[in-house]
Amino acid sequence: MAPWRSRMGLEEKLPSGIVLTSVEKLAGYMRKNSLWPATFGLACCAIEMMAAGAGRYDLARFGMEVFRASPRQADLMIVAGRVSNKMAPVLRQIYDQMAAPKWVIAMGACASSGGMFNNYAIVQGVDHVVPVDIYLPGCPPRPEMLMDAILKLHDQIYAEKLGPNREKVIKEVELAAMNALPIHQLKGLLA
Amino acid sequence: MNANPYIPILAIAAVGFGFAVFSIAAAAFTGPARYNRAKMQAYECGIEPSPQAAEGGRFPVKYFLTAMLFIIFDIEIVFLYPWAVTFDQLGLFGLVEMAIFIGTVFVAFAYVWRRGGLEWD
Amino acid sequence: MTQDQQGAFGASSTGDTSGYGGLTQAALNIGSSQRPFGGYFDQVADDLERAYPDFADAIERVVVDRGELTLHIKAARLVDVALILRDKLKFEMSMGVSGVHYPDDKDRELHAVYHLLSITNNQRIRLEVSVPDTNPHIPSLVEVWAGSNWNERETFDMFGIIFDGHPGLTRILMPDDWQGHPQRKDYALGGIGVEYKGAVIPPPSDRRSYK
Repeated sequence: MAPWRSRMGLEEKLPSGIVLTSVEKLAGYMRKNSLWPATFGLACCAIEMMAAGAGRYDLARFGMEVFRASPRQADLMIVAGRVSNKMAPVLRQIYDQMAAPKWVIAMGACASSGGMFNNYAIVQGVDHVVPVDIYLPGCPPRPEMLMDAILKLHDQIYAEKLGPNREKVIKEVELAAMNALPIHQLKGLLA
Repeated sequence: MNANPYIPILAIAAVGFGFAVFSIAAAAFTGPARYNRAKMQAYECGIEPSPQAAEGGRFPVKYFLTAMLFIIFDIEIVFLYPWAVTFDQLGLFGLVEMAIFIGTVFVAFAYVWRRGGLEWD
Repeated sequence: MTQDQQGAFGASSTGDTSGYGGLTQAALNIGSSQRPFGGYFDQVADDLERAYPDFADAIERVVVDRGELTLHIKAARLVDVALILRDKLKFEMSMGVSGVHYPDDKDRELHAVYHLLSITNNQRIRLEVSVPDTNPHIPSLVEVWAGSNWNERETFDMFGIIFDGHPGLTRILMPDDWQGHPQRKDYALGGIGVEYKGAVIPPPSDRRSYK
């Protein structure tokens, strides 16, 4: 099967300018306005995610009530719950099988950092396995908190750049990260 | 008034066909193609799909058999519906004829049964 | 079986102001209970003796404690006793296999505990089998109670007790290539220190010495 002929889409090949900015805005608007989540409810946070999709805290107002069972039809993976060491390769496989563009919300303390389970069995944060766009703390986060995270993700998606603008942003972020102080040298309230 | 009344249907069929062709062509030309190994594999709830034989061995044949047998016997049932509707008019002739029909399909059913086509594992 | 334990938790090297350092937990020494056992336990023991003449040979100890009957059985005789219990005494249901690890009990470190329920007679008893760590083999009860299949896999995964005759003894909770048996007393809890700005908080297992 390899080598596959990969290619970028048309929107990545536009030159920087007013056309690209308009296409960015249009693509961002389209992409954020009906994100389809993939079901990755693992534990207690899944209950709150279901509640967010149910009647009172309605995710259907964003077009997101369709939780796709198949990753091939989903753009957003909400990792809701603790990920055990046995589940980690499954999580990665599902993430790989999603089609780009895709985003990940780490919902809850266990998905963000391992939560209260600091032991041999639980992965200490799903960012060890998949790249995460929004970390949502809480144990479990209320449905309103999940919706706030989704809205912040919407803003992030709307602001995403394409083509040469994106490469510029990637370079800037990388430079900032390389020059930033490591965490163990930061001084906070505990120092 | 003298125009053929089926012209609008032809027109809408052409529009539908053109829309489908345009969508597929536009996606093929302007869309990205980012492949990776996991995307090319069958989806099996996150685990490696089984069996990993050659390309043809990727899909267990029992699913195909079940689908095929269902189609055949479902169509047989569909053929029984008109007989049920006109049961009185057809009378004895209908009964004998349908018995021959069901008997013919039954031969195929018995063959599948004896050859193990109905075993799932 | 164990020694007296001094102190529940608390620092033993520096001054302990919690007060828990002075607690003493008595040693766990289990002897055999004497007849009459009370309740339906006498009837169960009598029926078992009648149905299984080698009763005294197979049973190491009978313990009646807090209203519960425990039969300590030799590992080699486990399947016979289980069959008698299932067929003659009508203990149709096994609630599973639990593992226990006593690291101080030389040659009897690993215990497997079976909880049996008789639905017809509304009776519950417990079977306990002890094996040494150097030879942790217990006959499998999958042919007696089919539901023991996954329970025995879990006990193998967590404690390392190998069930002879099991149709497929593999890990069930941990990943397939995991080393070690997590629920043993000498298996560390794991966990990593958490970095904050200016400090690293150690994982819970390293924060204080639990006895």
